[in-house]
Order: sequence, then C-alpha cells, then structure tokens
Amino acid sequence: MKMKELIRLIINSELHELAVEPQTTLLEALRDQLGLTGAKEGCGTGECGTCTVLMDDKPILSCLTLAVDCEDAPIATIEGLAQGENLTAVQQNFLEKGAVQCGFCTPGMVLTVTALLKETPKPSDQEIEKALEGNICRCTGYNKIVQAIAAAVGRREVAEGI
Amino acid sequence: MYFPRLHVLRPESVQEAIDLLTQHGAAAKLYAGGTDLFPRIKYRVTLPEVVISLKKPISRARVIADDQFLSLDAVIPLAQVVRSETVREHASILTEAASAVGSYQIRHMGTLGGNLCLENRCMYYNQSHTFQFVEPCFKREGDLCYHVPKGERCWAVCCGDTALALIALNAQVEIVSAANTRQISVEGLYSGYSLRPLAIFPSEMVSRILVPKASLQRGSAFVKFSLRGGLEFAGLSVAVVLEMMDDLVTLNRARIVVGSVSSAPIRATKAETLLAGQKLSKDLLHEAAETVSRQVKPYSHHGFSVSYLKKCLKVYTSDALDLATQRVSQAVPG
Repeated sequence: MKMKELIRLIINSELHELAVEPQTTLLEALRDQLGLTGAKEGCGTGECGTCTVLMDDKPILSCLTLAVDCEDAPIATIEGLAQGENLTAVQQNFLEKGAVQCGFCTPGMVLTVTALLKETPKPSDQEIEKALEGNICRCTGYNKIVQAIAAAVGRREVAEGI
Repeated sequence: MYFPRLHVLRPESVQEAIDLLTQHGAAAKLYAGGTDLFPRIKYRVTLPEVVISLKKPISRARVIADDQFLSLDAVIPLAQVVRSETVREHASILTEAASAVGSYQIRHMGTLGGNLCLENRCMYYNQSHTFQFVEPCFKREGDLCYHVPKGERCWAVCCGDTALALIALNAQVEIVSAANTRQISVEGLYSGYSLRPLAIFPSEMVSRILVPKASLQRGSAFVKFSLRGGLEFAGLSVAVVLEMMDDLVTLNRARIVVGSVSSAPIRATKAETLLAGQKLSKDLLHEAAETVSRQVKPYSHHGFSVSYLKKCLKVYTSDALDLATQRVSQAVPG
C-alpha cells in the first residue's frame, strides 16, 4: 500500500507540488499543507458547505474530495477571488449588506454564489435560495445573504419571505 | 472527521475500472462523486479494502439522443443532467428529480449512476458509532435492529430520487462486467432487500441509463416531501408519468412510483391499472391517490411514523397526479 504520493495541484492559478496520503482530502491539503484556511471543516460529511471550493468553476465539497483526485484541475479558494484590494461584486455586497456575522460559512457561501453566477448570471431569488441549500448559516437567517447576492447582480428588491 | 487509511485506485476509463472491480470483487467499492460512500467510510460503517475512483471518466460523460432512446452515461454528474436541454426535452421528470437531489455542490459532484446505486439508509446506521449504537446492527454485520428493536431484518430505506423518475419513464440500465454486458429495467435493479439493495453482482457496474423516447404525449411530475426542502433525503417521493391518447383526455397508461418508504422504490400497480384507458377527471385522480395510499405500506423512518407517511402519501400522490395532468394540458413534453 502506498504511503505518500506526489501530486500537482493548481490552486488559485498557482502550481503546487505536494506529497499526500491517498486518503488526504483536498480540504486537509489546502488547510494543513498550503495554509489556505478559508475553506473550513464544519461537518466533514458534505452537509454544511463550509468547505466549498471551486474546481473547474464548479462548486465541490473539499471535505469529500480526495486530493489525489484533483490533479491538474484548476481549483479556486476564497483566497484567490479578490484581485489585490479589489473584492468581487459578491464579496463587496456581502460586506456592504452585512451578510456576515461569525463568518464561518462565508467563504463557502461566496464561492457557491460565484459558481451560481457563472452558470446563471441573473438568478431569481428562488434560484439563489436553491443554490444555497447546501450552505448552512446559523447566524444571519439567510435574508441578508440573499439580499447581498441580489444586489451583486444589480437588483434592489428581493421577494418577501425569502 | 478523518478518513481511515485508504487504498485508492484511479483508472483512466470505465473499462479499466471494470477490470479492477473484477480483480478485487466485493472488497472494492466504486465511487464517482463519493458523496454517499465517503461519509459512510468516515463514520467507519463501510470499510472497503480498496476504493476505485471514477473521477477520470466523469469528464467524458455524455447524453445522446437517437431515434428510440435517450442514453446517459452513468458517470454523468447530476448537475449536467439538470442543465441538459436534451434531457429536459425528452424526460423533463428526470430533470425535476435530479434537481431535487442533495445540494448544489452534491449535484455537481454526485452522478446519476451513483444516485441510482445509493446505499439504503437509516438514522441509526448513517452516523458515527463511537459512543452510541455501538453494538453492530444487521447492516454492520451484527444481528440487531435499532429502529425496530425486535426486528429480524434490516429496515433501511431506499432514498434515491432519480430512480423513481427513471422507473416511471420505463428506463433500462446497462450493467457491465468483464464477462458481459446486459440490460435490465431500472425497476429490476433493486432487490427489495435492505442489506444488499442492488440486484447486481459486486463485479458489475451500472454503465449507462437508457430512457425510451415518448411515442405519445406525456405529462409527468416528481414531488418530494422533506422537512427542510433542500439537502435532505426524502421522507417520501412520488413520480408520475401519464401517457395520453391523441385526444389528450384519455389515458393510454400511467406509471406511478413511490420512493423513500421501503427497501426499494414501489410501483403503484393497482392505481396504474385503475387509470389505464380511462378519461382523466378529478374523481378518477382522487380515487387513484386513494388507491396508492391503500396499496403502499410505508416503513416508518427518519422520525416519520407510518400513519403520518400514509397521510402524506395520499396528499403528495394527489399533487403529483394533478401536476402531471396540468402538464398534459399545457403540452409540456417529457
């Protein structure tokens, strides 16, 4: 049985060579080996969405993804979204609308929404809500998050009861 | 939560995966998204000697429509099924069922074949056993059931969503092994036996799903009952396909499938017989929903009692039948 394997990961457009065990998750590789602690471990079983990162612009759960399965696929974490001091529209609106309280879920939320906007540039409130069903927030009650996303795509109003 | 030590094999193609499966047999588990298998490995309730990754074939997964069938590779991600215009055009109920699975992330990772091959679930089995329910139950190779304390068998429930839509569409699955390739109905994929829910051998894998194209106008609907409304396995779900005669009022035949209430999806055959050849009416649909709730005997599961599920069954079947009827009149295909 192999002990460690040398793999190449492309994280935020940078190439990294890592020695990982076969069972090392992408989340462990990011946090423990690369020091990218934006992705968090909440449940560890795919139920909370705090470990969400983007692979090929698609949202994946890094706690349920083996690092050895990620070779040569472009991966984006929250650390790679902003260009220097310039935040993305989603990040800026999260900030302005107060869509952050404790912040634990925020990287996962922002990345999920970033993927959604790539697929659906003008999502309805229902589409936003549906995309966020796998991201659990225990502070905000989601209203401000949905408002921030609506604002990021240029809408002022959100439907009542969202 | 950490994985135990894993031995991971990463074949380049499905064919190579089958060769590895033949070599390792029941000691190996296939994974594509890993969203069903990996939590169980982390909980230490499934401990395969070898796991075989299907990640590389995923990128080549396709949907193809020919004259007779819509053919989907089993390793196609659910999100790709949801987005596919071809699937929406020929089997909109599959789009609806696939979009009800898990969460946005899980639909991008999980595959159609994976959802069909979902392990049966139970609220006692699917968790960590380090400090409670330590004694192994039937599914962990013990001889007790926590859910039905005097039960003499496993009562875990088959909770997949897409299987219902595919059974309602009378779809087939292609099963491949090193020795041969065979086709069985999606309905025939399920053994009805919670300990080994799939009626295929450990050396076989589901490689393709074949959905027959509609020759007559159809109306269909998939409804799922869950408490949170997202990222949840169904308390129960119902899929209905109504196949209409040319007048769009007379039913040629109906297929009704109920899921998440038993060890396998259940065809509501009595209601199907009742509906066949009849003219659609409110009374008829009401009677059909009554018939479904009389025929299907739900297991209690995940905190839902039998009597509650029975009541839900009537309501949700009625909703599914109404929605499918509306879609017939709106001439939405699929």
